[in-house]
Amino acid sequence: MTLWKDFNQGLIKENPVLRLMIGLCPTLAVSNTVINALGMSAATAFVIICSNIVVALLRKIVPDEIRIPIFIIIISTFVTIADYIMQAFTPDLHHALGVFIPLIVVNCIILGRAEAFAYKNPVLNSALDGIGMSLGFALALGSIAVVREFLGAGSILGITLYNTAFAATIMVLPPGAFITIGFLMAFLNKMENKVQ
Amino acid sequence: MGKILKLGFVLMVFCVISAGALAYVYLFTQPKIELNGKRAFESSLTEVLPNALVFNIVKIGSKEVYQGLSGKDIIGTVFFASPRGYSSNINMLVGIDSNAKISGIKIVSQNETPGLGTNVAKRSFLDQFLGKTANDQIEAKKDIDAITGATISSRAVCRGVREALNDFEKNKKVKQ
Repeated sequence: MTLWKDFNQGLIKENPVLRLMIGLCPTLAVSNTVINALGMSAATAFVIICSNIVVALLRKIVPDEIRIPIFIIIISTFVTIADYIMQAFTPDLHHALGVFIPLIVVNCIILGRAEAFAYKNPVLNSALDGIGMSLGFALALGSIAVVREFLGAGSILGITLYNTAFAATIMVLPPGAFITIGFLMAFLNKMENKVQ
Repeated sequence: MGKILKLGFVLMVFCVISAGALAYVYLFTQPKIELNGKRAFESSLTEVLPNALVFNIVKIGSKEVYQGLSGKDIIGTVFFASPRGYSSNINMLVGIDSNAKISGIKIVSQNETPGLGTNVAKRSFLDQFLGKTANDQIEAKKDIDAITGATISSRAVCRGVREALNDFEKNKKVKQ
């Protein structure tokens, strides 16, 4: 049961973006189109899951005093691997995400999970926590991107849905991200109040 | 002292393993990455000079241009221009055929305002330049319909096109 809980809590209850409010920088930057959001979620998921597993595997060897530098080495290794692989196999997506791929290193969700969860828990739990957190990140990024792309560019996944003359450009610009995140957080809070 | 050495050693071991893993991934992705870059560039050259099969790099003064060949005939030249737009340099390729007419324009990279300035990369805007020569007036809002809300970016593209056409004319005079 605790396995299920470890997986589950990242989705809504401790959703990194909408609840814990961490990892907002990449969220604001790449949630302008659905395809960017999905690409970013996939790259981040790869890094969170791999680094969670490796940190959990090594948690008994890593000396307490230098755990943070070691986490950062592990995370940046996986980020660079993801960067190379995307450059080689999905060059268009890599081009669209640009500098935000290398910046996954400083995404606080990843270091946060390594420090707060993987360093203290067994491998399986940490892997599930990583999967849950990445799904939560993808869910948040995806829903923000759907709203922004639909209102701001009149399309979803690049498929035009209505005359773009009616699209509100502000929604694909940074203010649109803040507005959308604000509304989503408010919605989630309201739902939670209802449940209680 | 012993503790510091031990910690340093552990950290070093982690760095070495990480470097090894990265070297391995780099080895097998690098050829593909280079190929992608080359292919992307070649396909944008073909886009602005559709009939050319092979491209040669030729130096004109300090600038590099790409001469498009079909068989043995030079059928056009691709010029690179990088005019300053609203919030970035608009890097563009301008293809000019052997009749001194513009055969195609492609915005390679830019960082203009999303939704406004970025529209200069659209076909509907760039196609207005097709067939223009150095003798034509090329000015946004007069001869070319500017993108609404992006006059500065539109003007920059016009400047880039004129620059390429001037380079082409200069190059022709040198040859003769």
